[in-house]
Amino acid sequence: MHSIALENVNKDFRIYDRPQDRLLELLLRKQRHKNFHVLQDISFSVLEGRSLGIIGDNGAGKSTLMKLLVGTLQPSSGSIAIKGKVAALLELGAGFHPEFTGRRNIYLNAALLGVADDNIAELEQRIIEFSELGDFIDRPVKTYSSGMYVRLAFSIATMVDPDVLVIDEALSVGDIAFQKKCVERMNEFRQQNKTMIFCSHSMYHVQELCDTAIWLEKGRIREIGESHKVVGHYEDYCNSKSTDPHEVPDINVVEDRKIKDCKVFYSMVRNLDGEEIDEVEPLSDIILESKIEILQDGLVCNFGFAIMRTLDEIQSAYLTTDLTDVPKGPFKKGDIIMARIRVNAISMRVGEFYVIGGVADSSGLLWYETKLSKLIKIKSTKGVGSVVMRVNWDIECP
Amino acid sequence: MIFQLLRQWLFAPIVHYRLFHNFVRQDFTGQFAGSFGGMVWLFITPIVNILIYSFVFSVVFRAPMPVEYGNTPFVVFMMMGYLPWFAFGDAMGRASTLLLEKAPLITKVMFPVQIIPGVGTVVPYMVHGIALSLFLVYLSTQGYFTLMWFWLPVIFGFQFLFTMGLVAILSALCVFLRDVQHIVTLTLTSWFFLTPIVYPKSLIPVEYQPWLLLNPMHNFVDSYRELILLGNFPMTSFLIIVPVSLFTYCFGGWVFMRIRHAFGDVL
Repeated sequence: MHSIALENVNKDFRIYDRPQDRLLELLLRKQRHKNFHVLQDISFSVLEGRSLGIIGDNGAGKSTLMKLLVGTLQPSSGSIAIKGKVAALLELGAGFHPEFTGRRNIYLNAALLGVADDNIAELEQRIIEFSELGDFIDRPVKTYSSGMYVRLAFSIATMVDPDVLVIDEALSVGDIAFQKKCVERMNEFRQQNKTMIFCSHSMYHVQELCDTAIWLEKGRIREIGESHKVVGHYEDYCNSKSTDPHEVPDINVVEDRKIKDCKVFYSMVRNLDGEEIDEVEPLSDIILESKIEILQDGLVCNFGFAIMRTLDEIQSAYLTTDLTDVPKGPFKKGDIIMARIRVNAISMRVGEFYVIGGVADSSGLLWYETKLSKLIKIKSTKGVGSVVMRVNWDIECP
Repeated sequence: MIFQLLRQWLFAPIVHYRLFHNFVRQDFTGQFAGSFGGMVWLFITPIVNILIYSFVFSVVFRAPMPVEYGNTPFVVFMMMGYLPWFAFGDAMGRASTLLLEKAPLITKVMFPVQIIPGVGTVVPYMVHGIALSLFLVYLSTQGYFTLMWFWLPVIFGFQFLFTMGLVAILSALCVFLRDVQHIVTLTLTSWFFLTPIVYPKSLIPVEYQPWLLLNPMHNFVDSYRELILLGNFPMTSFLIIVPVSLFTYCFGGWVFMRIRHAFGDVL
């Protein structure tokens, strides 16, 4: 059974020259606007009990799509059919009154989601427990931290037992422990055969929580399919965007440093034969290399490498600080140092990465200089998931 | 189409009783949350206003006593008009920001928006209804009570419907045209002084008096005075009030329901 079905949904925002034109048009039904297409030709359906992730760049139409699903916006054309009670977390605590206590807000919010008052009393305790607010539940919501706000909102929306849950970026706030709880709660949801729509910039969560994903681009569906595939393609696309020649140099041009102790010429990836490569095969061995010139006598330093998933997200870091058998100086001015690290059986399966190589002070905390490699692509292989491991099978037959 | 819209509008507060109730409670207590005086302010404002108007009109301008109501003290005469007006004016004054304040809710949560004008109207009416009742209790100890008083809730109810219709139109229009706010403020002030509330009707030149029948608020105020102070049933006013109120209520609802779907696009 389809729990959600969209057919050829279009949404235009009407642009009016003057604010009063909109009103005149509504009342007199004479066209006075120009159209701006936010969503075009969106068709998909979600089976009962499945979950759908929506990803895409800012402005791709994700929020508009969510609002259409919830019903606060009407499609300009096309049809949307949803079965069952919908609870939405489009904006966390949209219905909260800042002056009221959390407890009072539970009542109004649950009423908005369509729960009868006598049931709310029953749910109240569970909501309070889940939100972990403790005594704060009887304080005005305006005194809450943003994390507490989210926790309360999330607890209410999921406890009222909707058939369809629509969540927009809910997990981005809140601490890790609560995020984990949310994920668990959402998984419970899936087990209860409830439908879930989830929109996030956290690719990890989309992959984890959703069976299917939709990649929206400029108001159209660019790809729809199994979530890890769509997410993989989207990440590739994002990475290729950020290797735009205008952006990459930024991270290497950090000229404004007072400490001129050394200079990193380059960071690169080589295969075991010593050839520079820009594509690696999963589970192969590679060597990361940096060339460094020492600019100061008597310098004692640490070397480090990191594999970056994106320009500011570390996938894995290899710091030399705790290795004892690596020479750390003191070096003489003019020394040229080649720092290499061998990575055995690289475990990334899909995507692309950068390598940062650099020099840190003797404590390993202050980085003197780093250099970014070019983008290294991972050759795709068969399989699923973002990580691949070297494994041995052992099947015993009794 | 029209009937479907009207059906969703007419009984909205009853169909969505729980939500309505929660909103009203939130709105009502929300006004005092965080303030020290709390509900006391609700009564201080009209009392101070009444004292000011009594002073200006009966002491400074020496307005002649409202002879048509016997030897009723001026303050009593004025309060009979002022309290119902205050409920009306308060609801109208808040109408313009009613939906704008709830913008995050309207754009992010699906709920029957049509209960909002009702919430915005019922809160001031509750507040001033309480003030009016207290005042009536006082008057009954002064020997004003007649069985005619049982008509008061009926008139008050029609005034409520009349207000709610206007509030629905204003709140919806304000989403599209913020200018409405200023127009409302000006209109309310003019309307207040064009209605014989702080002065007796007899002060208006005789040739203008029939025009007052076109002013629904005058008909309401006049009904209260006739019922309370004289114990007469205000037949003329009543015949005007009923159709005008019902029409305004339905028309306001129709306008509101018709443009309701566009709220999400504009807010």
